[in-house]
Amino acid sequence: MRRTGWIAAAVALAIAAGGAGTWLIGGPTAPPRDLTDLTGDVNRGAYVARLAGCIPCHTDSEAGGAVLAGGGPLKTEFGIFYGPNITPHETDGVGAWTLEQFAAAVTEGRAPDGSHYYPSFPYAFYTRLSDQDIVDLWAAVRSVPAVEGRAPPHDLAFPYTVRAGLGAWKRLYLDPEPAPADWPRGRYLAEVAHCGACHTPRTALGGRDADRRFAGAPTPGGGTIPAITGAALTEAGWTVEDLAYSLVSGVKPDGDVYGGAMARVVQGGTQFWSATDRDALAVYLFEGALGAPITEGETQ
Amino acid sequence: MTDHHRRPRLAALGLWAGAGGAAAVLAAGLGGGAVAHVGATGVVKERMDLMMEIGDATKAIADMLRGTQPYDAERMRAMARRIEGHGGEAMTSLFPDGSLDHPSEALPAIWTEWERFERLADLMADQAGALARAADNPRGPMQRGGGMMGGSGIMSGSGMMGGGMMGGGGPSAEDLAAMPPDAAFRHLAQTCSACHEAYREEQ
Ligand code: HEC
Ligand code: HEC
Ligand code: HEC
Repeated sequence: MRRTGWIAAAVALAIAAGGAGTWLIGGPTAPPRDLTDLTGDVNRGAYVARLAGCIPCHTDSEAGGAVLAGGGPLKTEFGIFYGPNITPHETDGVGAWTLEQFAAAVTEGRAPDGSHYYPSFPYAFYTRLSDQDIVDLWAAVRSVPAVEGRAPPHDLAFPYTVRAGLGAWKRLYLDPEPAPADWPRGRYLAEVAHCGACHTPRTALGGRDADRRFAGAPTPGGGTIPAITGAALTEAGWTVEDLAYSLVSGVKPDGDVYGGAMARVVQGGTQFWSATDRDALAVYLFEGALGAPITEGETQ
Repeated sequence: MTDHHRRPRLAALGLWAGAGGAAAVLAAGLGGGAVAHVGATGVVKERMDLMMEIGDATKAIADMLRGTQPYDAERMRAMARRIEGHGGEAMTSLFPDGSLDHPSEALPAIWTEWERFERLADLMADQAGALARAADNPRGPMQRGGGMMGGSGIMSGSGMMGGGMMGGGGPSAEDLAAMPPDAAFRHLAQTCSACHEAYREEQ
């Protein structure tokens, strides 16, 4: 069951639709954020980078690459992506960018030249980041040494090479809104850490199924990524404490350890979280109203 | 620099999808799905049993470190020694070339990257031995930085990305043996995960 059709369809739609095509190609715009009065903090930003998992995708640690200087290959069925160099290098990184351009990239998937980023860069989740977290992230990104050199170009097959089609995808699936202030911390963390990227199933068109958040998802190979709702985890014998402990140790309650993509999530992210944040996420997954649509800011 | 360093990261699977793309991310080398332990025979059954014993010992250790069971240094040593004894050659000898009979979750990459697989099995044994020696050390936090990054900023990145994960670069057995058992255990568990990430199917 392949669901690659959407992007081809989106490209065709955008090309065929004339005036409407311009609207589609343009993609949605996030509500303006006024970041001018905020001051970024490097250490807090480094911590936000851990919450959001920025570093593994933008650092080729397996090849000994410098931090944020460009990631190793990210293989998908559309082809291979490479997280670009986002060190403050003037020409090869983001050294010449403004804070506003950085915010548009991270929360809207929009490049300084107005083109769209591929959703392999999980901006559909980062759109929930708070203003302060974005400003802190920017301070952290700017604090690393500038490194010369670019990651290899993505290696994609047509029609995925056509970025204009992404505007249509974004119209369908990107809901660029910061998290409502009344979200519990755990819910905010679940979004920023994009747990749903792997654990939420898709609709036929390839968007995340908002009614079945964290309900588990099939892998193309016929396996399953497990459900992580409180109900499912409870049935599998997990407690809130088990979940929180597994996020720092990688050890599941039965003495087995995480493998696959989940090993990376712990290794590159959750093992660095504060105990308070791990607990908050675990409590939210167990007790939050997970069935509710993503845009509704319920407090649980 | 060997080949596996450029191996595309399975970690990335799903992230494209996650960002809302398509569910059908390419699962290079994945497949099969959940397979029950039942029905295994021969060497596949033997190694599954070995891993189950490692898992049981790991659970006993984790329970003591988490405080769901009282901490007992004697028991800690015994469990760590059991894991040590199941590592190295005791483990790798149960993975003869191409032994993938159903319902094995092992991946064929084991035999194309045999040296690295062996290295991880050895590392697990060394780290478990070090944990046994750390059993009487004062207890301490599991995490290095404990949440916030303690002023080191994003640059502690190199360490955080886990040299230990690749079976190089982590602390030596001597260093581990001097740590609180909590911290030593974390390094051991990372080695389990590193091997599973590369050489065992996702369930
Ligand atoms: C799952 C992997 C992944 C994660 C996690 C990730 N990125 Fe990226 N990022 C990418 C990819 C791939 C691209 C390139 C997208 C494209 O070319 O359309 C990208 C592009 C970018 C760009 C644009 C760079 C340029 O030269 O145009 C910035 C800035 C960026 N990411 C910052 C971040 C930050 C900050 C975070 C964490 C909050 C983050 N990324 C997390 C994969 C990732
Ligand atoms: C890149 C994809 C990906 C992301 C992102 C991800 N997971 Fe996972 N997760 C997986 C996979 C794959 C497994 C199965 C791991 C295995 O086979 O060992 C898994 C397993 C789990 C399990 C074990 C469930 C069980 O019943 O065994 C839990 C709990 C879990 N993940 C929680 C989370 C949380 C919390 C987050 C967000 C912080 C998260 N995951 C983010 C891919 C992901
Ligand atoms: C050198 C690689 C390697 C290391 C190190 C390793 N494992 Fe494994 N483990 C595997 C492989 C491969 C399998 C799948 C075997 C099969 O199905 O044929 C497995 C399977 C398992 C299983 C499932 C057994 C079953 O059949 O139900 C458990 C539990 C387990 N490992 C726990 C651990 C723990 C805990 C550690 C660390 C203390 C660890 N492993 C270290 C490679 C490794």
